[in-house]
Amino acid sequence: MTSNISEIDLQTQLASGGKTELILKNPIMVGSGTFSNGVELSKRFDIDKLGAVVSKGTTLRPRLGNPIPRTVETAAGMLNSIGFQNVGLSAVVNDYAPRWEKWNTPVIVNIMGENFSEYIELVEALDGIPGIAGVEVNISCPNVEAGGLEFGQDPQLAGKLIKAIRSSVQLPILVKLTPSVADPRIVAESVAKAGADALTIFNTIPGMAIDIDKRRPTLGAVFGGLSGPAIKPVALRHVFLVSREMDIPIVASGGVVSGTDVIEFIMAGASAVQVGTATFVKPDAAWQILAELVAWCDSNEVSSLSEIHGAAK
Amino acid sequence: MNRSGLTILDNICLYGTTHLMWLRAGDAYRSALPGQFMMVTCGDSEASYPDPLLGRPMSIYGLDVNEDHVRVGILYDVVGVGTRWLSRRSPGDVLEVLGPLGNGFEPDLGLRNMLLVGGGIGVAPLIWLSEWLVDRGAVVALIAGARSIEGIFPKELLRPEVEFISVTEDGSLGQKGLVTDPYRQLLSWSDQSFACGPDPMFEALHAILLEVRPTTELQALLEARMACGFGVCYSCAVFPKTGGAVKLVCTDGPMINSRTLYG
Repeated sequence: MTSNISEIDLQTQLASGGKTELILKNPIMVGSGTFSNGVELSKRFDIDKLGAVVSKGTTLRPRLGNPIPRTVETAAGMLNSIGFQNVGLSAVVNDYAPRWEKWNTPVIVNIMGENFSEYIELVEALDGIPGIAGVEVNISCPNVEAGGLEFGQDPQLAGKLIKAIRSSVQLPILVKLTPSVADPRIVAESVAKAGADALTIFNTIPGMAIDIDKRRPTLGAVFGGLSGPAIKPVALRHVFLVSREMDIPIVASGGVVSGTDVIEFIMAGASAVQVGTATFVKPDAAWQILAELVAWCDSNEVSSLSEIHGAAK
Repeated sequence: MNRSGLTILDNICLYGTTHLMWLRAGDAYRSALPGQFMMVTCGDSEASYPDPLLGRPMSIYGLDVNEDHVRVGILYDVVGVGTRWLSRRSPGDVLEVLGPLGNGFEPDLGLRNMLLVGGGIGVAPLIWLSEWLVDRGAVVALIAGARSIEGIFPKELLRPEVEFISVTEDGSLGQKGLVTDPYRQLLSWSDQSFACGPDPMFEALHAILLEVRPTTELQALLEARMACGFGVCYSCAVFPKTGGAVKLVCTDGPMINSRTLYG
């Protein structure tokens, strides 16, 4: 007999207790910056099947983004330097949130401020808006000059920021960490202690490419962030390191292209995963990966993800 | 937008390093229009991820539709690892293709004299456009430019009704020079122009249009580096020189009016 999705317990919790609860029906999320704001793909595919959608990175005001070329293919991956081209906070609140409200899947808004007060302004405006189920605080974007990464590499500053956000809002708070640290546990501990509900591990890895004909960097913005299957082993190690020592839910993000990648991350201690670059390759990648996850559980007689959660630790 | 496995019917080197492939397509392509494109996976789609990873955007070169079948053609230049892989596929092999995508040309069928300009492999979508326009009673002239004779589309494969003007930078075929020279000469005859090629070509053509025939329009079919092809990766941004809103080639285009780009 073939079991189906309803017979396997795929539910996962990213935030618990009181007003900040965030429960996903399954662990397959789509990552920020790889799904736009979901409206286009929700017309093609059944958005309600996904665990959660993370919005395009949102800033206080609209941004035009970086010069082209913005992406370049690499071995089993790609570099991007989009530079937060986005519609800005008010369009998210006024135009997108009402559409998200109609979905039966939570939408988490990825936010990035250029400084401390911008982050606070962003989360306060998003708190309590129907259709917005949480925020993912980006303290790890390699592609903008101000903000982002400078918070992500400094445990004191990151902790202070998350503490201030925590005391300002009721929304579930995910914090998206950077891979660009010697020991991922230090910033992770600091933001967990400050009140983060979950950690997204991790953002793209800074890198670059050179156009040898032009004898200059390929990307218009010189540097970009590496994503795709090439970075999965690095993400897996960061998830494993953090989950071995901390009890906070972890959302794994880095090179997931298949159901078995999801299993690996869950066994390393992740509670959910984000599908990113894979969506560029196949627009319905997240749905296919979910089907592969179910099929794997089925053939391995796993009836609940809790049976394999952290199994490799 | 439909992602499916399309079976290769034919895959040959047509001229120079340019190849022509015909694929058996599904009904999703019946309503495709000249200037639309497809994302072609150039690696094993059975693997957990193809290598190279990202699809290659390719404009539709031709569409052959009847009651029994739909065939879609792509014309591609072998320039890198993806197109080299593609050139080695055989009839019967299956390619993963996402399409048809984007907004193509919008010819005004109330007009008569249509001027088409292709730079390099940019000629690909104009072949079908020329056929489509001839079928609808338009008079069509096609200017094709390349560095040398190896980059010029074979005239004998065009509809006989199409006037063909070839231009090469080295003079090895047709006029010596750039597509802008015959464009300037033919523009006073033309009611509407359509172009595909590199960005500097559009800008040069637009400047001539404003000078010679500003009452007509130039529809530019943009080439761009893309990761997704359907509006979520934001790779293919275009910053209009007019200062207008940033466009994405894949979903706002690939056809964008030259006035929107250059004022």
